[in-house]
Amino acid sequence: MNPILIDGLTKRYGTFDAVRDVSLEVSAGSICGLLGPNGSGKSTTFKCMLGLARPTAGRALFEGAPLVPEMFEQLSFVPERSALYDRLTGNNHLEMMRRGYRNYDARRAQAMLEIFSLDPGKRIHRLSKGQRTAMGLVLAFSIRPRIMILDEPASGLDPMHQRAVLDLLIEAAAHGTAVLLSSHQIGQVERAADRVVVLKRGRVILDGNIDDLRSREKVIEAVFALPPDEKRFANDPRVRRVERRGSTLRVYVHADVDDVARDVNTLSPTSMNVLDQNLEEIFFSAVEEPRPATLEAD
Amino acid sequence: MPANFNVDPRSGVPIYVQLIDQVKRSIAVGALHPGERLPTVKQLAVDLTVNPNTVARAYRDLERESVIATSPGRGSFVSEGDAQTRRTVSDVAAVKLEDAVRDARSIGVERDELQKLFDRFIDRWYPHGGNQ
Repeated sequence: MNPILIDGLTKRYGTFDAVRDVSLEVSAGSICGLLGPNGSGKSTTFKCMLGLARPTAGRALFEGAPLVPEMFEQLSFVPERSALYDRLTGNNHLEMMRRGYRNYDARRAQAMLEIFSLDPGKRIHRLSKGQRTAMGLVLAFSIRPRIMILDEPASGLDPMHQRAVLDLLIEAAAHGTAVLLSSHQIGQVERAADRVVVLKRGRVILDGNIDDLRSREKVIEAVFALPPDEKRFANDPRVRRVERRGSTLRVYVHADVDDVARDVNTLSPTSMNVLDQNLEEIFFSAVEEPRPATLEAD
Repeated sequence: MPANFNVDPRSGVPIYVQLIDQVKRSIAVGALHPGERLPTVKQLAVDLTVNPNTVARAYRDLERESVIATSPGRGSFVSEGDAQTRRTVSDVAAVKLEDAVRDARSIGVERDELQKLFDRFIDRWYPHGGNQ
């Protein structure tokens, strides 16, 4: 039984489907990255999973059961904006963790404070945005839960602490924790996750093992003396999309690339190459938006 | 760590494939010796900041190809035996060679021409025939 299972989750606001028929599973020891443009339904999915919003249809199960208070000890949730008490100190928050969680680990909490260079004596309202994010992470990692759900866990952190988050997630996964995290930073997901789910307008448009996607999603780049009609591949189910620039044809393939390459070859190109795509390129060809010059940095 | 592994997650090459190539290459250049113990899946995942499932997948494939052997409770070790080591060395060369041949074909080099080029390089690097 997988620690996280989402089955046919739909959330409708009036006539607008914020999330539509989303299903995904995360197994023990796996890290699943949830990617998607702003407003694609990532946070709504988390809210519905955690009982912060009522799904219109579908459900989320944790270790096979709906979320019940007994499960809280085995689940760390890091919301996008850390839910901390402004007037209390970091130590106050850790004390609440100690009282509320039997699996609270004081030594681990101390190590986390050091990793994120935090002074636990300070009141939360005196912390910077990045330090608040870090404090939320310290609390989440002060227990060793079987499930972790993180919404943009690295926002506002400097690169060193962002890397520390990845290291901690890898370590948690190595201990069997199932991790689901959303991120704007494809770089984090491609490094730490083994699985990716891409949302667009509330729907899952890409879902798979990241290495399998790297193996499967290829670009055939062929140069022709006389450029052929690119529409030839437009309705091919093996092809995501086709681009033509002058005499160069780029065919984005998401099925057997050798098969499609043979077909391209029958058009007698003067040269033909199969190119790999990294996760960022796969993401942009899946959401079918032209790649911007720079990625959002935060 | 016995050998210096590292992966490029930004590349389009699957990470488990990168790991397999690096283990084989380390064996080929002698940075990993037959019988030498490999880091555990957990250790390598943490050291490289890559997913443990991905490391486990690389180890499984290496085991299937008999490049490494895992004994429960003891860990994973580089397989011993000259035949296996030679096979690994030849695998590493094959990957490079196939890339080069594919590249040549993609820019329209004819088969005979490529064969001639290949013979020329063989003569240059193996001037005395036989072994280097």
